[in-house]
Amino acid sequence: MKTTKKLTSTILLLFVMAMVMSCVASAQSAKPEKIKTSAIEVMKVDPSDIKISPAFLAALYENLVTELAKSGKVGRVIREGDKDAPGIKDLVKLQCVVTAFKEGSERQRQVTTVAGASKLSVIARFTDNSGKVLLEQDVTGNVHFFGGNLKVTYDLAKHVAKLVKENF
Amino acid sequence: MTYSSKKRMTAMAAAALFCIGTLCAQQPAGTLKVEHQIGFELAKANEKGTLAIQNGSLQYTHNKESMNIPASSIEDVFTGADSQRTIGGTLGTLTMLAPYGGGRVVSMFRNKVDVIILYYRDANGGFHGSIFLLPQGTSNQFKKDLLAAGAHASIPPDADDAKPSTDKKDKK
Repeated sequence: MKTTKKLTSTILLLFVMAMVMSCVASAQSAKPEKIKTSAIEVMKVDPSDIKISPAFLAALYENLVTELAKSGKVGRVIREGDKDAPGIKDLVKLQCVVTAFKEGSERQRQVTTVAGASKLSVIARFTDNSGKVLLEQDVTGNVHFFGGNLKVTYDLAKHVAKLVKENF
Repeated sequence: MTYSSKKRMTAMAAAALFCIGTLCAQQPAGTLKVEHQIGFELAKANEKGTLAIQNGSLQYTHNKESMNIPASSIEDVFTGADSQRTIGGTLGTLTMLAPYGGGRVVSMFRNKVDVIILYYRDANGGFHGSIFLLPQGTSNQFKKDLLAAGAHASIPPDADDAKPSTDKKDKK
């Protein structure tokens, strides 16, 4: 009786393991296809209903343009409103919508080293010319120790550039 | 007074006059010493220069190189107040390593500055968001001058307070 129970539990365990392995394998094989484009147009950052200083929106926009260009994954990074944009057929548009913002305090960070962190979260949405969403992901930037509050935009832009490196 | 001391005095006076003349030539009326933070065409981050409004254009000068944008291409202007560390940059970061919490004391010393944020379009129509640090108490008048030169603003001067990094309570 005991032997039968042991055998049953072993078989069950093996079955579960096999299921897990197959799930992992299928997840690996079903990697999303890379998005192909020759240019990304960075749209103005949408603050939605979050109270955020225009300085953060401006800094985030500029850092996005710089970091996406640095990523080297896209041939051209275009600013919103550029006259060349309508002529690019495979143009991908990046729209960041602010979802959370905590301004923090550089002084508090330096004095206490634990308080005063800055945090900025956005939804980074990549769409094609027809408006179809190609990729959408939550991205967050932080400043915990060194640097001014605006550095949060640099951290966030670097994360968006990483997202582009992985998916383009 | 001897001849040599007279000669020395004359030379010093001439040198002083030359310096004053040079300073006046470099600083025309309405020119502000600024620190560029981010976003202005080819200017580098944390670069020091001057901003002036001339013939309906905003002119940024750094090391005798000037960049102009038409004031009419400025879609929005925001001003605000901020503070920056008295000792900044790498040295400021290194002060954090000072013993007995000395670095923390140093970081308490901050200079008050004004901030001006410009949303504008470049010659190709591309959007830019640029930030400059100005001497305290100058941003509001500069915004008025910009608006008079043809820039646009969603918030009128005097009602504006766009703070990039205040030390007030955190907002969510």
